[in-house]
Amino acid sequence: MKVVWLLLLCATCAQAGSPLSQADAAAWLQKMADASRHLSYEGVFVMRQGDTMQTLSVSNRPTAQGYESLLTALDGSQREVRCSQSGAVTVMADGSQIKVEKRLNHRHFPVLLPANPLPLLNWYEVRLGDTARVAGLDCRNVEMQPRDAFRWGYVLCAEKDSGLPLKAMVVNGSSQPLMQSAFAEVKLGAAPRLGAAPALPAMPEAARQVETEQVVAKNLPPGFTRIAAVIRHLPNMQGEVEHWVFSDGLTHISLFLTPAHKPVETVKGESTHGMVNLMRRQVGDFQATVLGDAPWPAVEAIALGLEPKK
Amino acid sequence: MNPAHEHDESLSAFLDGELSDQQARSMIRRLGEDAVLRARYAEYCATGDILRGHRHDIPDLTDKIMAALDQEPTLLAPVKKPPNRRPMLWLAAAATAAIAWGLWSTAPRQETAVPLAAATPPSDVVPYLAAHQDYAQSVVTQPEMNYSLVSLSGAAR
Repeated sequence: MKVVWLLLLCATCAQAGSPLSQADAAAWLQKMADASRHLSYEGVFVMRQGDTMQTLSVSNRPTAQGYESLLTALDGSQREVRCSQSGAVTVMADGSQIKVEKRLNHRHFPVLLPANPLPLLNWYEVRLGDTARVAGLDCRNVEMQPRDAFRWGYVLCAEKDSGLPLKAMVVNGSSQPLMQSAFAEVKLGAAPRLGAAPALPAMPEAARQVETEQVVAKNLPPGFTRIAAVIRHLPNMQGEVEHWVFSDGLTHISLFLTPAHKPVETVKGESTHGMVNLMRRQVGDFQATVLGDAPWPAVEAIALGLEPKK
Repeated sequence: MNPAHEHDESLSAFLDGELSDQQARSMIRRLGEDAVLRARYAEYCATGDILRGHRHDIPDLTDKIMAALDQEPTLLAPVKKPPNRRPMLWLAAAATAAIAWGLWSTAPRQETAVPLAAATPPSDVVPYLAAHQDYAQSVVTQPEMNYSLVSLSGAAR
């Protein structure tokens, strides 16, 4: 018996810290991606970014069409995000009124990995880290280290049986956390049916597809493709804006194009702890604003690679 | 002062060369006549040799020194104590301070840092940041942004 334990211990030692084989890495990522969508759960998690902290509740349940989830902010302004296969809406309480906005996409903890995470293995090396305990449950850290400078690293702690990520960290090249989300309490198993959505007023369509492109992105970082190109209205903003999104499946970078009515200064922006980067410049007759939760080289590469379409 | 102490002081002064020539001659004469004083003189010489590291072969010297110390009067004058150094307590205090600093500096703070902006924050960026959150993880939080002007070169200018 002792020999068996020793062998198990040695096997664990060998795994910890060393890169997983492609097959093992794929299995871990797929298990986490599936668990976050197809498992019933409800819980409360804390999200920390820089100096700010938010507490949110999340519930998820599988449906015949896929899954639906409800995300509710427990502090700050009243706001919730309802997600289903058909789309997502943000519901906000504004005084006595309820405002509803359609979202182009829904992506929130713990549903962070794409449904098909396998292409990520081209851009990330996956390692198994230590075991941990989060919200009273045992989990195993799965470290996704980027192979280049165009994306942040991720550390997800997968619940030992289901694989549900109980904690997620976005880390920079020095392994310093930029953003962390972790369940404080979670119940796995049957989640209650989501309550009926409040009566929603008629909503304009969130966006329409771009038909004629007047700008071309010539320099996308490895693995990034354009996943959206729409014309949309933004809340608190006059007129329409063209919104493109580039992604490798985990990192998302937005490009906003508006007519340049006057010469545009080239501006670089970064969030206090460096997680969000931004670059604005003039491209032909357009003001282009590129921003995303990505390292500066990725934002800069996309922004400098923009050219007017000839 | 008893006679023995008086002899001891004279012997000590003799050995230290502090007696006058006349007193020294008198001491030499007494040493020739007094066997007890000679024995005392031998002990003084041996003690001096040991203190200077010249000999180690006097087996009963320790007993004699301890006996002599027992006869010394007890001093009741206050003695200055060395400072009570407790390095482990200082280390613990330093560690506690370091932990407290770590907790304080990493704890979420209500106030926000003043942006060291070299450029005027673009007025229309906030809606863009909000719109990007359709694809980012954030639901409510708007990141605090710092801006700076960038000089471009080449084709991107």
